[in-house]
This record gives sequence, C-alpha cells and structure tokens, in this order.
Amino acid sequence: MADPWNDLFTLLPELMLIGTVLFVITVDLFLPRSAKWVLTPITIVGLALSAVGCTLVWGVNDRVFDGFYVVDDLAIFFKAATLVIGLLTALFAPPYLVARRLPLGEFNAILLFSLIGMFVLASSSDLITLFLGLELMVMPAYLLTGFHKTDRYSNEGGLKYFLLGSFASAILLFGISWTYGLTGTTRIAEIGPALADLATRGGGLAPAVVVAIGMLTVGATFKAAAVPFHYWTPDAYQGAPTPITGFLSVGPKLGAFALLVRLFAEGLAPLRADWLTVMAILAVLTMTGGNVVALTQTNVKRMLAYSSIAHTGYILAGLAAFAAATSPAVQQEGIEAVLFYVLGYGVMNIAAFAVVGMLQRDPQRYGGLNSFAGLAGRAPAIAAAMAVLLFSLTGIPPTVGFFAKLYVLLATVDAGLSWLAVVIALNAALAAFYYLRVIVYMYMRDPETDPAPIERHPFGTAALGLSVLGVVALGVFPEPILSLLRDSARILF
Amino acid sequence: MSDIARDLPLLSLIIFTPVIGVLVLLLVPGDRHRAIRWIALLASLATLAFSLLLLGYESGGAEFQFREDLAWIPAFGMGYRLGVDGLSVVLVILTTVLSVVAILYSWDPIQTRVKEYYATMLLLMVGMLGVFVSLDLFLFYVFWELSLIPMYLVIGIWGGPRRIYATVKFVIYTLIGSLLMLVAILAVVIAHASGGNEFTFAYEQLRGFPFSDGLQALAFVAFFLAFAIKVPMWPLHTWLPDAHVEAPTAGSIILAGVLLKLGGYGFLRFSLPLLPDAAVEFAPIVIALALIAILYGALVSMVQPDLKKLIAYSSVSHMGFVMLGTFVFNQQGLQGAVFQMISHGITTGALFLLVGVIYERTHDRLIAHMGGLNARLPRYAAMFGLFTFASIGLPGLSGFVGEFLVVLGAFRFNGWVAAAAMIVVIFSAVYMLWMLQRVFFTVPSGWMRRWWPSLSDMSRTEWLSLAPLLVLVVALGVFPGLVLQLTQAPVDRIIDLVAPSGGLSSLSLPW
Repeated sequence: MADPWNDLFTLLPELMLIGTVLFVITVDLFLPRSAKWVLTPITIVGLALSAVGCTLVWGVNDRVFDGFYVVDDLAIFFKAATLVIGLLTALFAPPYLVARRLPLGEFNAILLFSLIGMFVLASSSDLITLFLGLELMVMPAYLLTGFHKTDRYSNEGGLKYFLLGSFASAILLFGISWTYGLTGTTRIAEIGPALADLATRGGGLAPAVVVAIGMLTVGATFKAAAVPFHYWTPDAYQGAPTPITGFLSVGPKLGAFALLVRLFAEGLAPLRADWLTVMAILAVLTMTGGNVVALTQTNVKRMLAYSSIAHTGYILAGLAAFAAATSPAVQQEGIEAVLFYVLGYGVMNIAAFAVVGMLQRDPQRYGGLNSFAGLAGRAPAIAAAMAVLLFSLTGIPPTVGFFAKLYVLLATVDAGLSWLAVVIALNAALAAFYYLRVIVYMYMRDPETDPAPIERHPFGTAALGLSVLGVVALGVFPEPILSLLRDSARILF
Repeated sequence: MSDIARDLPLLSLIIFTPVIGVLVLLLVPGDRHRAIRWIALLASLATLAFSLLLLGYESGGAEFQFREDLAWIPAFGMGYRLGVDGLSVVLVILTTVLSVVAILYSWDPIQTRVKEYYATMLLLMVGMLGVFVSLDLFLFYVFWELSLIPMYLVIGIWGGPRRIYATVKFVIYTLIGSLLMLVAILAVVIAHASGGNEFTFAYEQLRGFPFSDGLQALAFVAFFLAFAIKVPMWPLHTWLPDAHVEAPTAGSIILAGVLLKLGGYGFLRFSLPLLPDAAVEFAPIVIALALIAILYGALVSMVQPDLKKLIAYSSVSHMGFVMLGTFVFNQQGLQGAVFQMISHGITTGALFLLVGVIYERTHDRLIAHMGGLNARLPRYAAMFGLFTFASIGLPGLSGFVGEFLVVLGAFRFNGWVAAAAMIVVIFSAVYMLWMLQRVFFTVPSGWMRRWWPSLSDMSRTEWLSLAPLLVLVVALGVFPGLVLQLTQAPVDRIIDLVAPSGGLSSLSLPW
C-alpha cells in the first residue's frame, strides 16, 4: 500500500487522460486551422487508452494515497461510463463547433479536464478529494456552457450555471466543514458511523447532524439538478452549444450521482433511515416537476432539458430504494439501478441532443418542433435514429431506456416502495406524451416549405450510429453489463 | 404431426418470419410498390402457413406444446420462454389470418409511404403474435409494448384528418395501463421470489403460487387497468371510437380483430390464473361493468351517424360479452368468451373491411349519405348483410355461438344477469338492421347519387381479402367444435385454478 509506484499504477486511467490533455494542448499550437480536426481522433485515442487503463485496474480494489483515493470496481464502472459519454461528446460536438468557428483544441482540452474531474469524483474516499473532483468537473462545464462566446444566450447560460453552481458548491462545502466539525474526520467511510453515533446519543436526531446532512443533500442534489434545486438547468442547457448541452445533461449528472453514491450510500449508509424520506420526496418532486414542465415546451432542446430533470428523479428513486431496503441484496439492487440508469440515460440523452444540434446548422432557421416536421421524409436515417432514442427515453422495450426504468421499478418494488414505483410508472406515461410528440412531427406532419438545412458529418453520423446500436443492444442483451454492474455495486456491501 | 415439424422452433418461426419480411423490405427501393406489396404478402402468408402447423397441437398432451426455452437475462430470471395451449393456438391463427387479410386489403388503398406501411404492419404482427405465445411475464410485456408502437404509427401516418389526436390518445391510454401492469408484474415476481423461490418471470412457476390477498387485489387492479383499457371496457373505452374512425381500414381490421383480443387474452392467461382469489373477489364489479358495456355499447351504436363509429361502439358491446363470459367462471361462460373473441375478430374485421370498400369509392362513411346501395352494388350488399347477421348472432353464423354460450354461462351464474344480456342482443339487432336498411334499402341520398355512375362492385382484391373471413364465419357457425375442442382444456384449467367448485354461485354474492 505504501508503494508509491503501485499507487501511481492504479491511477493509470487518470494518467492517460492527463497525458492526452497535455498532448492536445501542445499539438493544437502547431496545427493549421484546416487540420484541427485531427484533435478529435487524438482525443478518442486518449479515451481508448484510458479505457484500457480501466480494464488493467479492474479488480484492484485498493485505497491509495493514504486513503484519500479509492480505486474499486464501483469507481471503475463510473469511469467507464464517463469514457462512453466523453467519446460520444467528442464525436458529436466538432461539426457543430466548426460550423460556428469555435476552437476545437480548447474544446477537447476542456472536455478532457471535466472527464478527469469526474474520474476523481468517482474515486474519492475523502471529502477533500470529493470536493476537488467536483470542482474539477464543473469548472470546465461552466466554460463549455459559455463556449459560444459571441452568443448572448450561451454567455447567459454560462454565467447562470457558474453563479448557481458556485452557490451549490459553497453549500456543499459548508456541509462538509460542518460534518468535519462534528466528526473530526474527512474520511467518507468514517463519517457515517461517527454521525450515527452522534445522532443516537441524544435520543433523537441532533440538530447539528440535521444541518450537516441537509447541507450535503442540498449541495449534491443541486449538482444533480433535482427539483427544487433545478432552476439553473433550463437556461444553462438552452444556452450551451447543443452537443455540449448533451454532455452537460449527462456528464455532470453522472458525477453528481457518483458523489451521491459515495457520500450517501457509502458514507451516510448508517443514517439512511433519516435521509430516505427526503430522497423519496425529492425523487417524486423531480420526476413530476420535470415532466410537467417539459409537457409545455415547444422548443425541443428545452424540452429535453426539462426531461433530463425528470430522469434525475427516476435515478433518485433508485437511491431511495437503496435507503429503504432492509437486506443487503436489495440495497445493492438500488445502487445497480442507479448505475445502469446513469449509463443508459447518458448514451440516449447525448445522442438526442446531438440530433437537435444537427438540425441547427443554420441557427437562425431552427424553429423548435417545427424543424422536426417531416424529418422522416427529408432524412429517414436521422429520423429513425431519433425515433429509437425517443422510444428509449420514453421507456419502451426493447431499448436501454426501458430496461433502466425496469431496473429502478424492480429496486423500488423490492425495497417495499411500491407507491414510488406507481408514481414512476405514471410519470413515464406522462413523459410519453411529449417524447412521442416529436415523433408525431417527424413522421406524421409535412415538412415546412423551406426547411432548415441538416448538418451531416462523418463524426456525427458515426456517433449517432454507435449510440443507437448501444441503445438497442443494451436493451435486448443487457446481461454482459449486468454482471459488471453487480461486481461494481457489490463493493459497497 | 411429423417429427421434423416437432423439432422446428415453430413459434420462433411464426414470430420472426415477419421480421425477415421487414429486413427484405429494407433492401427494396421505396418506389417499387408492387414488389413491396408482394414481399409483405408472402411474409404474412408464410407466417400463416407456419401458424397452421400449430393445429397439430395434441389436445390430450401436455398443456403447453411447441415449447422453446432459452436463457435470456438469467440475472433476473427472464427467459425466452414460448409455448402454446389451445387458447393461444386459436388466437395465433386469428392473428395470422387477419394480418393476411389486412395486408391484402391494403393493396389499392395505401399509396403513400408504401414501404414504411408494410414494414409497420409486419412489425405489428410480431408484437401481437409474441403476446399470444409468451410463457414469461417479461417477454410478454416486451411484446405487449411492441404491439403498441406500430399501431401508433399506422393510425398516425396513414389515418384520417384527426389521426394525431386519435393516435396519441390511444398510446397514452394504453401506456398508463401497461406501465402499471409492469409494476404489478414486478410485485408478483418479487413476492414469489421472497417466498424462498427462484427469482423468475416464468409463467408456469408463478402460476399457482399463493400470493397474499392484499398483493392479489392491488396486482389485479393494475392488470385489470391494462387489459380493460385494451378490451376496452366501459368506462375506459373512449379511445376506441376515435382510433377506429381515424385508422386506415387495415388498421381498423387489426385493431378490432386482434388488438382488442390482447386484453381478453390477458385476463384469461394472466389475471385469472395468477390472481384467482382477487379475480373471484372482483368478479361482481367486473360483471357489472361488463353489463354496462354491453348495454352502453348497444345504445350508443344506435345513434351513430358514422358507419365506422357504429361498428366501433358495437365492439364495446360485443367485448362486454367476452368480459361477462370470462368472469362467471364456468365452462359455458369461458368457452363462450373465447369463441366470442374469435367470432368478433372475424365479423368485425370483415365489417370494417366492407366499410372500407364503400369509403374507397365515395370517401364518406356517413350513414345519412348512403342509401339504396343494394340496387347498385348487389354483391357488396349481400356480403355486408351476411356479416351484419353474423354480428347480430344469427344461428348458423359464428356470432351466435359465442353469445349463446356466454348467456348460458351467465344464466348458470344468475338469471337476471343473463336476462339483461339477452335483451341487449335485441338492441344489437335494432341498430345493425336499421343501419343495413338505411345504407342499402332506402332511396339513395342526394350525396350518393353524385357517385352513382362511378360506383363499382367489389374488386378482385377485395373479394380475395374477404374470402377467408367468409369461409370462417360460416365454418365456425356450423362447426363451432373446431375452436371449442381446442379451448376446452385451457378453460378447464382456468376453472380449476379460479373456482374449483365449478363457477361462481350467485348465492355467494351480495346481490
């Protein structure tokens, strides 16, 4: 354990990404504008190397750097999901960015930085590391939101995201310091028992413990964009360049759930009876709130932004199932549901936003839902891909979105939260209404007289094909992922 | 049945032959309409041929035959488990026959997005056939949802002026029911597993497990919503008239002929055997709703100005008989319910087809705009009359057997219930015959006179697509045993599970 080389070896996936960032930044300086596209393949190779690193450290399950950092299968699952999200973003974004004369070099570097932040977050076993990872993840995300620097909405979104995000970070930090004050430790594994000890000493839940857990909950769910802490989401998502919105809607969300799993499922597990109700209520508010507002949107990008809030609610339900379950096997099921949902949702949502981006080749001419009218006739392949993604987001078999919902339902019913499962089911039916509306436009209406042009680029097409393949393959044959998932989630128990 | 046919994965062939058809369609250029129609027709005919091999089902043999059992997602005990009993066999054949009819009928009417149309119709077959042969609750649910999306597209793309409203209503109604059913399926599976059993979605392992009363009641309500919306039962039927009016003719044939039967099948295959105590508990309520549906459907049919809407509401009434027969839990009632499903599929499918025939010529379905057609289109009028009588329940045609058996079953349960149902049969004669009179025998309306010179009697394609239904409606009317002997054993098994004493006795009920 004390062997520094061994510690460094377990950081292989992170090191690969760091190396790639430095390489990208350096190479960017020497590339002529016409050759900047090379940076995308370079980034992808870096992501692939990092994935290889992940497979090498799979099964190591060790705490390194004096216990500040943990490399276990759970962390590696999050990292693998991060890499998938990174790969899709790196492929989807360039055509959109190049069309708007936005720099590819900076984009790739910033994206990679954010991915590194997610890696650190997933592996943190100490509140300090946790916070470092979180900030490293969201700072680049603020930049990416405002990446279209000549666009007012992008600036507005970036600023809002930055201000409210900093606010949330401050609250989280406040919760962390309060926790440290109460327990005298920042080790995640130690704070739970210490707080539980404190909480029970006075008979009821001590007010100080309530404040600490409350602050941590608010900070974390702010990042995950749960209702009622979601107000930054629609503006930030709408303002950001569209393929980047796809990334924002899943990347930082994955990070936030890594944080929630680490902090609540691992750290605060002894107190879960106390935060269960809060999580369940947040889950209901989030899915219902997101869906109801999404129903009223006619701008597809904004509709997807709100629907991503609804999906946060479904994932939170998995966490609530973990908290409500009495047997470890069922608790593990809750965590597995969270992991599977985060991965599946990541793929389908990024791709759905990317399709919106493809229709925005001429930003002036993009008209929300109307731009989708008659898409099936104009671009059958893109329309079919979008239809599959929308069915998946709705939760219709045989897609990954269906299986993810099934997993959450299974976990909640198994944990005795059948009422929550019913709320999820009704919400899914509600969501069908606005997802299917896009299909109505694509397949059942005639195109506008002068439809906006469609961006077609090999990178985008490849990524869209990959996503659809993944959405269907994981939906029909989820078994290989399930076994990985079980190994990862078992670490906590 | 030869051994070779036994060894074939026959059910997989039945489910996936349409998929092969879709894959072939993808390779054909979209403007080769003729080739596309032939490919779709051949795929559906091949499916029909495979499904006819199921008649080799041995009534005295194992309950489920032609079994296939492959691990699919073992982590959750989900398997690719297929098998059929007599009930499934007759419904599978109904589905393949009506699919061929629908695809053949679409030959001339469908001229836009032809390739997409036939691909959608073939995918629709996959979902429907899968539902009837699944012996795994998860697989069943997947096929159940799969049957939803193609119909959504068929109505939404090839439907009438208000198609989008109709199709969205159809999907949302169905989804609410089916998602709640998914929760119920999970609850049932988990309850079974927590009793120390294997975690499995296998139907046969779950059946017969003594689920607690509370769970049975809640799960029954959820299953009921899903199936009753599909049937559809009053008061959950409001999507049906809209969907039928807007759907293209072939869509209506499948919708009335098969999709509604998914609901009836769901009750017989899942609700009753899995949750027998709750089924008995809720039977009075369901019987009351069924009676209301029978009466309501008939009364509303009387005042419909639109032919399609009239037949749609008469479906509500006829499917009410299915529900009534199902929930009296005796031989006659259950056999009648199954027979009524088959018969309704044939007669209503044919009636929608015939309405489509006149709609193709005049682009109108208003009864007030018709009149005197018997003089101009005698053969068409004869066919319409025949199926009208079948729908009313004239002896010798298939409609009679189902209604008669259901009323008989209802009589064994409670004389008043049977009497109420019987009286409605008179109403159904009223609205159907009155419709027949106004369409075919009065003086032609001014509207109809405008089309008069251009009206032509039924074309060859129309005859061809109607022919199988014509044969079946007479054959089943004269030899109901063709169906009843196949469904005897499944019905007995349901009675064993739900009401071993041989049906509900009216004394055990509060009224």
